[in-house]
Amino acid sequence: MNLPHDSAIKHVTGESVYINDIPADERLLLGKVVYSPHAHARILRIDYEEALKVKGVHAILTARDIPGENQMGPVIHDEPCLAEEEVTFIGQAVALIAAENEDAAQQAASFVKVEYQPLEAILDLETAMEKNTRIEVERKIERGDADAVLSHAPHVIRGKLRTGAQEHWYLETQSALAVSGEGREMMIHASSQNPAETQAVVAEVLGIPKNEVEVEVRRMGGGFGGKETQGNHVAAWAALLANATKCPVKIHLFRDDDQVMTGKRHRFLSKYEIGFDDNGLILAYKVELNADAGAAADLSLAILSRAMLHAENAYYIPDILIRGNAWKTNHPSNTAFRGFGGPQGMAVIENAIDRIARFLKKDAAEIRLLNFYRNDHNNLAPYGQEVKNNHLHMMYDKLIGSSEYFKRREEIVRFNREHEFYKKGLALTPVKFGISFTTAFLNQAGALVNLYTDGTVLVNHGGTEMGQGLHTKILRIAAAELGVGTGQVRVNATNTSKVPNTSATAASSGSDLNGMAVKNAIDILKSRLAEVSVAEFKKKTKDDRSRKENILFHNNVVSDKENPDRTIAFPDLLKIAYLKQVSLSSTGFYKTPGISFDKEKGQGTPFYYYAFGMAVSEVVIDTLTGMHRLLRTDIVHDVGDSLNEGIDRGQVEGGFIQGVGWCTTEEMKWDSTGHQITHSPDTYKIPTVNDIPADFRVEILKDVPNPGTIRQSKAVGEPPFMLSFSVWLAIKDAISAVGNHETEPDFTLPATYEVILLSSEKLKKRIG
Amino acid sequence: MQKTVRFVLDDRIVEVDFARFPELKPTTTVLNYLRSLPFHKGVKEGCAEGDCGACTVVVAEPGENGRLVYKVIDSCLVFLPMIHGKQLITVENIALTGKKDKILHPVQQVLVETNGTQCGYCTPGIVMSLFGLYKNHSSPSLEIIEDALTGNLCRCTGYRPIVEAAATACTGNGKDHFSEKEKEILSMLNSILSGKETMELKQGKQRYFKPFTLAEALRLRKQHPHALVISGSTDVALQQTKKREFLPEILDISGVEELKLFRETGTEYGFGAGLSIEQVKLLSESRIPVLHKILKIFGSLQIRNLATIGGNVGSASPIGDTLPVLFALGASVMVSSESGERMVKIEDFITGYRKTGLHKDELITEITVPKCQEKIKTGAYKVSKRKDLDISTVLGAFRLNLKDGVVTEIVIAYGGMAAMTKRAMKTEQFLTGKEWSREIVVLAMEILAGEFSPISDARAEAEFRKTVSANLLLKFYLETTHS
Repeated sequence: MNLPHDSAIKHVTGESVYINDIPADERLLLGKVVYSPHAHARILRIDYEEALKVKGVHAILTARDIPGENQMGPVIHDEPCLAEEEVTFIGQAVALIAAENEDAAQQAASFVKVEYQPLEAILDLETAMEKNTRIEVERKIERGDADAVLSHAPHVIRGKLRTGAQEHWYLETQSALAVSGEGREMMIHASSQNPAETQAVVAEVLGIPKNEVEVEVRRMGGGFGGKETQGNHVAAWAALLANATKCPVKIHLFRDDDQVMTGKRHRFLSKYEIGFDDNGLILAYKVELNADAGAAADLSLAILSRAMLHAENAYYIPDILIRGNAWKTNHPSNTAFRGFGGPQGMAVIENAIDRIARFLKKDAAEIRLLNFYRNDHNNLAPYGQEVKNNHLHMMYDKLIGSSEYFKRREEIVRFNREHEFYKKGLALTPVKFGISFTTAFLNQAGALVNLYTDGTVLVNHGGTEMGQGLHTKILRIAAAELGVGTGQVRVNATNTSKVPNTSATAASSGSDLNGMAVKNAIDILKSRLAEVSVAEFKKKTKDDRSRKENILFHNNVVSDKENPDRTIAFPDLLKIAYLKQVSLSSTGFYKTPGISFDKEKGQGTPFYYYAFGMAVSEVVIDTLTGMHRLLRTDIVHDVGDSLNEGIDRGQVEGGFIQGVGWCTTEEMKWDSTGHQITHSPDTYKIPTVNDIPADFRVEILKDVPNPGTIRQSKAVGEPPFMLSFSVWLAIKDAISAVGNHETEPDFTLPATYEVILLSSEKLKKRIG
Repeated sequence: MQKTVRFVLDDRIVEVDFARFPELKPTTTVLNYLRSLPFHKGVKEGCAEGDCGACTVVVAEPGENGRLVYKVIDSCLVFLPMIHGKQLITVENIALTGKKDKILHPVQQVLVETNGTQCGYCTPGIVMSLFGLYKNHSSPSLEIIEDALTGNLCRCTGYRPIVEAAATACTGNGKDHFSEKEKEILSMLNSILSGKETMELKQGKQRYFKPFTLAEALRLRKQHPHALVISGSTDVALQQTKKREFLPEILDISGVEELKLFRETGTEYGFGAGLSIEQVKLLSESRIPVLHKILKIFGSLQIRNLATIGGNVGSASPIGDTLPVLFALGASVMVSSESGERMVKIEDFITGYRKTGLHKDELITEITVPKCQEKIKTGAYKVSKRKDLDISTVLGAFRLNLKDGVVTEIVIAYGGMAAMTKRAMKTEQFLTGKEWSREIVVLAMEILAGEFSPISDARAEAEFRKTVSANLLLKFYLETTHS
C-alpha cells in the first residue's frame, strides 16, 4: 500500500527533470516578458528599435505580431495574450523578447520603451462594487425564507469577514519550453495542470489547428491550482517566440516576476447574518460572498460557485440564502488555488459559529456538533443534494476523545487565568468538501494503456503530476487491476498526442477520474486477454471448460478460477496474444455518473460524493508581540479506502500546513498604486519547518470504503486545506481570552501577528 | 598573483579560468555555474535571495584537526571565487553509482521511505541540508533538526516526513563514502590553498580581488576604495541577483584568516569581523547568552554559515539583527587601515540608513564586546511576521543595572523603529534613578511610544511597531523580575 512516490528516487538524486533542466540544442533562446508597471493605463506607443539592436536578441514581439487570436482566457475570452491598447493590471505582458542569454534579454528589456497614459485603477473590492464591475450576474442558492426566519429568530448576529489573497508559491515558477518543428508544428514542454488547454491556447494564438500542437508535461514543481490556467500563459508566449524565431525558446519566470504577474487565491469580502436559538441551533443564514476576480474572468465564476456550494460547510441550515458576486479589479486575474473558493465560503460560517458560541457562552465544538448534517434527516444541502455517508458525528466522537478536548479546555482556562500575557486557545473545526468539477462536463477522463510482450505495461492518462502522487496511485491501480507487480508498470509523461481532450488535474479529481479511465482501458485489455487464455487452455487441455468470466489476473499469472491448475504467466500470455494478432493497446474513458447542476436555479447534484475531515488545534499567543506557536494539532481525515496511505497522509499534512500559512503568516499587501509590496519570500512568508504543530497527530480514517469510486477511495487533494481553520479559530479563542471571552475580538484572515497584537490590545484596554 | 579559481568538484580539481570561459564572470554565482554544467542541474533556483534553500549545496573545507568541515550554504548568493580552495558537493554527488541502480546515501534512502518528497523541486536542497546535518551531528535533537531545515522551504509536504527522515537517517556518526575520500580531498584542497598570493580576476568590465592576508586586504582597500567589500555576500549578492545591477569591483575578504579569530580577555570578547554568524552563535552560547538567543533565529543555517558579524555591522541595516544587541552590550568596532587602527563605539559607528563611519581605506577587523558584570541584566526580543527565517520587524535589546531596586543605568536599543538602530534616550533618561517597578515601566512605555516615528511597510504598520516596541520594554521588565 505504501509505495513511495514513483519519482522519489529521482527527486532525491536530483535527476528529476523540470522544464528548466530539459537539455535543448545550442540554438536555445531565453524568452523574457516585458510587462506593465501600471494597474490601468492606455498604451500610447511601444518602441523597441534600440532593444532589437542588443547583441544576441533574436526577436521582439508585440500584440500585432500574433498570427492567431490574441486571447488566452480559458472560459470567457477576456484575456489578451499581449496587451494591445490598454493594460489592466501590473504584470500584464506587453512585449516578448527572445535572446541568446539572460544578460542580453535583460538589457533588451530595459531598452523597450512603452509610453503609457495612466488611467484610474480599481484596486479593492469596495471600489469595484461601487463601480459595479460585476462579471455576469449575481448568483444565488436559496432554500426556505431566510429573511423571514431571521426577523423572528431569538438571536441574530451580523458581520463582515475579509479573507486574504494567497500566493501559490510553487517552488518551480511558471515555465515552458517551446520547440518549433516542421512546417507549423509546435511541441510544448509545459508546467501545466491542463495540457489540453495549453494545447488549445497555443493553437489559438498561433492560428494553427490543435493537431499540430503537442503538449507534454513530465512533472511540475508544484501547482496547487496556480498552473491550472496560468501555466498556459508562459506556454503561449514561448510558442509565439519559437514560432517567430524557429528556435527552441524557454521561459522560466524569475520568482519576483512570477509573484507580480500571476493571479492569487481570490480575496473575499463577505457579509453575513445568522439566526439561532438559545442552544445555538442555527435557524437561518444569509451570506453574500464577494470575490476579487482581478482583471479577467479566468476561473472566477467557477471558484465563486464552489465558495457558494460550501457556504454552509458541514452544517444543516433550514433557511438559507447564499448570494455570490465576482468583481473585476485591476490586479492580475485571480485563479484556482487548492480549495477553489471552498475555503473562502467556509471561513465565514466557521467564524459565525465561533461568534454564536461566544455570545451564548458555550463551547464552539458543541455548537458545531448540534448543527452537523445528520444521516437520517436534516441531510439535504441548500442546493438540494443529499449528504450521504456522512462521517461527521463519528469523527467528532473520535477526535473529542483522542484529542482529550474537554480536559485540555479546562487546562487552557487554568493557564489563561494564571498567565497575563500568554494566552492559549483551542478550536475544533470540520470539513465537508464536495468532490467533482462543478462544471459537470469536465468530469471526464481518458487513458491509453500499452502492454508489451516482455510483460511490461505503459500507462498514459490525462492527469498531470505536480507532486501529489497521482502517477504513483495510477501505477498501483494499473498493477492491481492487471495483477502484475508495480515494477512492471510505468506511467508516462502526460501528452496530448497520447490522450486527447482531457480536463485539468484539479478539483481533487485526478485519481477519481483518471484511475477509472485507466481501469476501463485495462478492463478492455483483460477481456481480450481472457479470450486468448481461454483459447490457450482449450488448446492445451482439449476441453472447453475454461470460460472467459472465470479468468483471473493475479501475481503476474493468468489463471482459471474454476480450474486452478490452468495458468499462464502474464508475459507469456502477452507473447501468445501478439502472435495471435490481438491488440495489446487500448484507450479507456470515464465520466462521472449522475451529476448535474443548474447554475441559474442554484439547484442540483453537483457532487459525486463528499469528503470529510476534522481537526483540533491548540495555540499559544504572546499578547505583547502578537506572535504565536502552534502547539498541537489532531486530525482525523476520510479518504475512503486509501489508494496509498503514505501519499494520502502527505496530502493531508501538506494541505493543512498550506492552509495554516493562508490563515496566519501569508499576508499579501499592495501599495496605493497597486504594486505588490510582498513580491518575494523576503516579505511573503509561507510556513517553515518551525511553523508546523509541535505535536502533530494525523489519523487516516479506516474502514470507510467509498462506493462507486476507483478501489473505493476518495479524493484528498483539497479537503485537508480547510482543516487549518482549527488553527485560525484557536488563535481567535486565545485572543478572546484576553477579554475573558466577553467581547468579540477584531478578527480577520490571515490572523497575522499584527491582528493578534492589535486585537489583544483593544481587549486589554476594554477590560482596563 | 593567482588568475584562476580552483576548487574540488566531482572528486577532482576544477580550474576556472575566466579568460577561457567568456560566459562566466567572477560574480557568476555557484548556482548558475553549476546549472551551466551538463550534470549538475539538480541544484535549483527558487528565489535567488537565500530565502528558500532550493539551491542549497555543501562546501567542505580543511578544519582545525586535519578533518574536513562540511557547511551548508545557499549557492545563489555565493560568487565563484568564494569557493576557491573548497570542495563543492551537490545532490549529484551524494549517491554512489551502482552497477544497475544508484546506491542511495542514508539521508536519501530515508527521505524516499518517509514520503519526504512530493513535487521534488525543493528536494535537492533538502537532501543537501540533511547531508550537512548527517556529517555534523549524530542522533541530533529535534531543535537541531529543525534548525538544519529552517532554510529550506517546502510547499508540498508540511515538513513532518522530512523531520522524521532527519531523525531516522542521521545516526551514522557522519560515516559515509565521503569519509573514505577525506584524506584525498584534503590534500587536493591543501595544494590549492598553499598559494597565498592575492587572486585578481578580470572579465570584461568586472574586477574581483581576493586577498589572503590582512595586509593585502588593506592594501587593496586603499587602492580600490570603490570596490564593494564582501565576505559572505549575503547582502551584496542581492544587488546582482535581485536588482540585476552590474558589480564593477569586488574586494572579497573571505579568504583572510586573520579576520576569523576570537579572543577573550578578563574584560572583553573580540570577534574577528570575518567570523560567520554561525561561529559567533556557537561562541556566544555560554559567554553572551543574549546575543546567542538572537543569533539562533538569525536567517537560516545556510545564511549564518556565510554571513559574518563584520558584514552585519558594516551593512548598517535598520533591521540588522545584531546591531541592537551590540548597542545594548556597549560593543565597539575595531577598524584598520594601512595607517593604523582605531576603535569606535558602535553607536558612533552607525551613522545613518546603511551608513557607517568607515573610511574609504578602512576595513572592520573586530567587534569587541565588553563582559557584563553578573548583576547586570540583559534581554533581547525579536518580533517578526514568521518566527524563523524572517527579518525582524522590531528588535528590542536591553541592558539594566539595578541598585537596591533602583535603575542606575539602562540601555534600550531598537532595530526597525527608525532609519537606523537607535537608542530610546528619553526613555532611558526617564527610567534612570527610578524604581524598577511595573508602574514606572508602564509610564516609560508611553514615553517610548512618543520617542520613535516608525514607518509602515510590507512587514507591519507603524501602529504595530509603536505598540510592540513599548511592549518589549514590559517584556524585559517581566523577565527581569519573574525569573
